[in-house]
Amino acid sequence: MEGLGNSIKEAAERLLNEGDVDLVIGYERGTTPLRSTPCFIRDSGDVDRLIWDPTCDANLAKYLIGQDAKIGVFVKGCDARSAVVCIAEGQIDRDKVVLIGLPCSGVVDRKKIDSVLDGREILDATVDEEKITVRGEDFEEELPTKNFLCDSCLSCRHRTPTVYDIMIGDTPTEEPDTDEYAEVDELESMTAEERWAHFVEELSSCIRCYSCRNVCPMCYCKECFVDETMPAWFGKTNDLSDTMIYHIVRSLHLAGRCVDCGACSRSCPMGIDLRTLLKKGEKIVKERFSFEAGMDVEEKPVMSVFKQEDSEEFVI
Amino acid sequence: MKIKIVDKKEVPALIDRLIERYRVFAPVDAGKYARLMEVASGSEACLELQNPKLSSKEILFPQTEIILRIKKGEEGLETEEPSENDKDWVLFGVHPCDAKGLVLTDKFFASGDYKDKPYMDKRGKTSIVGLACNHPRATCFCASVGGSPFGKEGIDILLVDLGEEYLIEILTERGERMIEGVHGLRDASDDDMARAEKMSEEAEKALQTDLPIEGLSERLEGMFEDPLWDKVHLKCVGCGVCSYLCPTCWCFDIIDEETSTGVERIRLWDTCQFTQFTLQGSGFNPRPSGKERMRQRIMHKFCYFPKEYGVLACTGCGRCVRECPVNQDIRETIKEIMSV
Repeated sequence: MEGLGNSIKEAAERLLNEGDVDLVIGYERGTTPLRSTPCFIRDSGDVDRLIWDPTCDANLAKYLIGQDAKIGVFVKGCDARSAVVCIAEGQIDRDKVVLIGLPCSGVVDRKKIDSVLDGREILDATVDEEKITVRGEDFEEELPTKNFLCDSCLSCRHRTPTVYDIMIGDTPTEEPDTDEYAEVDELESMTAEERWAHFVEELSSCIRCYSCRNVCPMCYCKECFVDETMPAWFGKTNDLSDTMIYHIVRSLHLAGRCVDCGACSRSCPMGIDLRTLLKKGEKIVKERFSFEAGMDVEEKPVMSVFKQEDSEEFVI
Repeated sequence: MKIKIVDKKEVPALIDRLIERYRVFAPVDAGKYARLMEVASGSEACLELQNPKLSSKEILFPQTEIILRIKKGEEGLETEEPSENDKDWVLFGVHPCDAKGLVLTDKFFASGDYKDKPYMDKRGKTSIVGLACNHPRATCFCASVGGSPFGKEGIDILLVDLGEEYLIEILTERGERMIEGVHGLRDASDDDMARAEKMSEEAEKALQTDLPIEGLSERLEGMFEDPLWDKVHLKCVGCGVCSYLCPTCWCFDIIDEETSTGVERIRLWDTCQFTQFTLQGSGFNPRPSGKERMRQRIMHKFCYFPKEYGVLACTGCGRCVRECPVNQDIRETIKEIMSV
């Protein structure tokens, strides 16, 4: 993957120099170990800042919403699908976006790494597709990358961008053999009381910072339902009854739209597992409507169309 | 000033003695991180963990707080301001950055003519047991913004972790009162104090000190229209992580909620990073984009607040650096401002 460093720079440089785009959005090295950070490049002289490795976790499709400029954006499989959803929903102008596909084998879950380090602080780290080497004050450990990828990556079925204009490197061919809905199945096997207890435990630490919403490309509403005051649909407190409704309604709004990029879970400062709830919505839509979000820019959003053959067993 | 020593294994008993007289809040292991919470027993406190996910702000200026109850009485509307009439409080194991955060919070809520009642009700009866920071993290920068890992500002008793025991430095009368009747302490020896001093020096050395901060406030005064603001905010997604985790962000919203018996007026954390923060009824927003919102947060911390109170509104605790979902690093923003 490191060998692709030049390819991403060349692609960005070419797009900028030939005037195909005004702006390239990619990743650059972050300020702390195992972190990248979104990078906005207008001058082709700056393309050396660009990187691509398993720390490139932000979903950059977020930055395409509401932009007038012509933008080249680096997209992993999930980011591309997010962009496709937003294009299909009329939020991104396909003609103004150059999707530069990245060959992704998954991004690193720093919370998983922290959980095995027992409070020891990483001061320096290197990462490639095989191993993550972390170093601290008096330790150095090698961790197999595949064990420390985000859950969404471990079950990802669309590593290759579904839509792209330029592809960097070879399209990834290997598909994970994990059960995509293992976490959802586990939830489904619980009793209602157990599920309630699970969500109470997860969501009671929510501080309503909305990082989950704000990193999500599909959360582009100009006024989110949680912010509305006339009427105020529900309370803004961090009381469990309020936070629950926020997360439940958000998950409903994302059913058939979420591409399981995992950005919400990664962003949560409180470590809440937000993705499993969303994954359940994805599963329902897949089973009932044979629909997967972000596969085709021409496809109508599943929740905005009615088909005669639609499953209606939930209509009472 | 008295300096004592307590064996680590005696600390739960020490906290238990405090619990007899105070409500005690201490870092507890919340699973994935530490959180400052009320403890019913000294054994619940975990002083060995890293600084809690949220600062002491969440105890003294809670995220959600009822500030007024309103109900219909026989002679019209009756209002009641909830007040804390329970025991005095102790925040136990507060790192110096967060203790300093409370000193700055005092300026915000209580240094003018008006003293904020909900805050002062709690703050006025709260004593702070600080815990010196032996191992500042790479994301910490307290020393760059006028603090210190062994700083004593806002602290009544400072604990220093000496390995098997804590050195206890009693700094104020409140500290004296707290420690009254606590058994199992011995006087610190010269050797104990020398060890604590060495740890302090090592902690200072471990801290990042290359952050250029000299003249930052004055520089910002002339930078309101600087083109820098067009780019520093670009990656910010406008969430509340930095503000909510920050010990020195205090903006709030007030809402009224109907209950079965009347109305509760509730104060909630808010942040200048939210799109609706300054949205006016007319639809006009003086801070319409991320640019103005980022500028506001930086200006408030490093220009407006210092102008008003003579001190930066940042304690260098590093929470925003660690937790920002897109690695918007405030240290980098400062460096960019200083290099304009």
